[in-house]
Amino acid sequence: MRAGVEEATVQARTLLVIEDDVQIRRAVRNALTGSADRIVEAANGREGLALAASWRPDLVVLDLGLPDMPGIAVCREIRTWGKMPLVVLTARHAEDEKVALLDAGADDYVTKPFSIREFAARVRAQLRRARSSSIPPDAVVTVGDLMIDLAARRVGRAGESVHLTPIEFEILRVLASQPGRTLTHRQIFDAVWGNAAGNAHQYLRVHITNLRRKIEQNPVTPRLIVTEPGVGYRFER
Amino acid sequence: MRIGIRGTMAWPFWVATLIVLTLVMHGVRGEIEEAHVVIPYLLVVLGGSSTGGRALGFTLAVLSFLLIDYYFQVPFDTLSVGKPLDWVVLLAFLATAAVATQLLTRAQDEAREAERRAREVKELSEVAEHAEALRAANHLKDMLLASVSHDLRTPLTTIKALAQDVAAGGDARARIIEEQADRLSHMVANLLDLSRIRAGALPLRLEINTAEDLLGAVSAQFAAVPTARLKAALHLDQPALVGVFDFVQSLRILTNLVENALRVSPPGAAVELDATRNGAELVFTVRDRGPGVPAAEVERIFEAFYRPEGSPPDAGRAGLGLAISRNLAELQGGTLTHAPNADGGSVFTLRLPLAEVELPTSSL
Repeated sequence: MRAGVEEATVQARTLLVIEDDVQIRRAVRNALTGSADRIVEAANGREGLALAASWRPDLVVLDLGLPDMPGIAVCREIRTWGKMPLVVLTARHAEDEKVALLDAGADDYVTKPFSIREFAARVRAQLRRARSSSIPPDAVVTVGDLMIDLAARRVGRAGESVHLTPIEFEILRVLASQPGRTLTHRQIFDAVWGNAAGNAHQYLRVHITNLRRKIEQNPVTPRLIVTEPGVGYRFER
Repeated sequence: MRIGIRGTMAWPFWVATLIVLTLVMHGVRGEIEEAHVVIPYLLVVLGGSSTGGRALGFTLAVLSFLLIDYYFQVPFDTLSVGKPLDWVVLLAFLATAAVATQLLTRAQDEAREAERRAREVKELSEVAEHAEALRAANHLKDMLLASVSHDLRTPLTTIKALAQDVAAGGDARARIIEEQADRLSHMVANLLDLSRIRAGALPLRLEINTAEDLLGAVSAQFAAVPTARLKAALHLDQPALVGVFDFVQSLRILTNLVENALRVSPPGAAVELDATRNGAELVFTVRDRGPGVPAAEVERIFEAFYRPEGSPPDAGRAGLGLAISRNLAELQGGTLTHAPNADGGSVFTLRLPLAEVELPTSSL
């Protein structure tokens, strides 16, 4: 099985779980034991921050509803010094909160009640992504029959050249540079339009739609640029 | 308290009084001074204006003026006036009566206005008190809902996690536990949302979105469904359809409609999902080949807790989906309607506001 190969490649040394609910902590630990040598647990934010600083874990699982401090504050605090993946558990099914989390530096989130299998898969994906070196700005990214030459600003599909507008190329470049990572609308605006005045960025979704028509096999079931409803977009390899 | 003669009754009463007064004083007119005659007439004028208003007051004043002139001013029984000083008395009477009438009715108007204001203030303060109480209750309800939501989700997560552990051990029943936990959490979420929508507490993000992006997100929700069962139409020959709507809530509406459609359609039949443009509207349609909806129940299906006639009380759904969907459509300035499908089954139509977009083609 291919999954077995993946399991082997994502073995981490230390994972930190910051969650106040004992049962969920146990479930999370059970789901992750195969993926790490050691799982460290904290029941509140302060303890979690202390353990994160002393263990320097490869990945942090963070519950938002901590008794002593807002989870998003823990997230920001860790991000002041650490770059390890942060996977958040949230009880609220509110897109605004997810956006705030991603903007605060979280890498992924799952909403309670979550499937423990899916959660474990997300954690492994994050570990894998952290392990693989980031995409250099002059790389040539290939996914299936699509080729993106970041340096030459050229895109080809099945050997044919694809014409993109400058905005479409920028959006594709930003997304493809961080494959597997959901970028919020805000993060894409900032990366593509910078501090440009005006409200051109409100058409982001229209540009994405036009971009998909040029690079996706079937634009109604997109596989390369995936919509994360209410949150943003993600490039899948 | 005021005198009990009001409105239309005031006129005959005070005119009669005037006649009686004139008759009485006419009998003794040789013995009283004309300055004394004026006083009782003045009283009648005041009485009239206080109960019958300004018009009666002025009418009585003019009548009294004429009566005094005719009966009580020398020469008697003529309208002519003997001495210049008598003119002074007469005109002074008229002026006094007019001014008194004016002042009295104005004072009455002001009193009435003051009373009205006082009543208004009282009502307003009651309304304000009521609103304050409502706000407090609403806040409490929100807190309660948020905490119920959180408190239910945490144990549901544990139940799901344990069920998955057990299922991994090979017990098929654990899968059912997990499914039921999902259903419960879905119901809790729907109940919370319905109450939030009703309270106007559901935040909306009306933004420029495309129909294609939305249909793609709907398809992604049903990735496990074979494409032969769910067909999303493509119109690649036309420019992308753009509208102003809340992506997440519109996705919920369509997901709900497709879910229903898949449930009621027979196994071989496809559910068709399409987006077109009609004037200033984006029109999404979901067609199924199910049994359809009896004409008499077409509007009822959008009511909360609706169940089809004859369905068992525990059909497994709370009947909130369509009610929430219609509410969500209307909150966005759209509509959600049902029509029979020409080929059998139902067509649900979601209309949302369209947007005309001119994209800059060159630079950023």
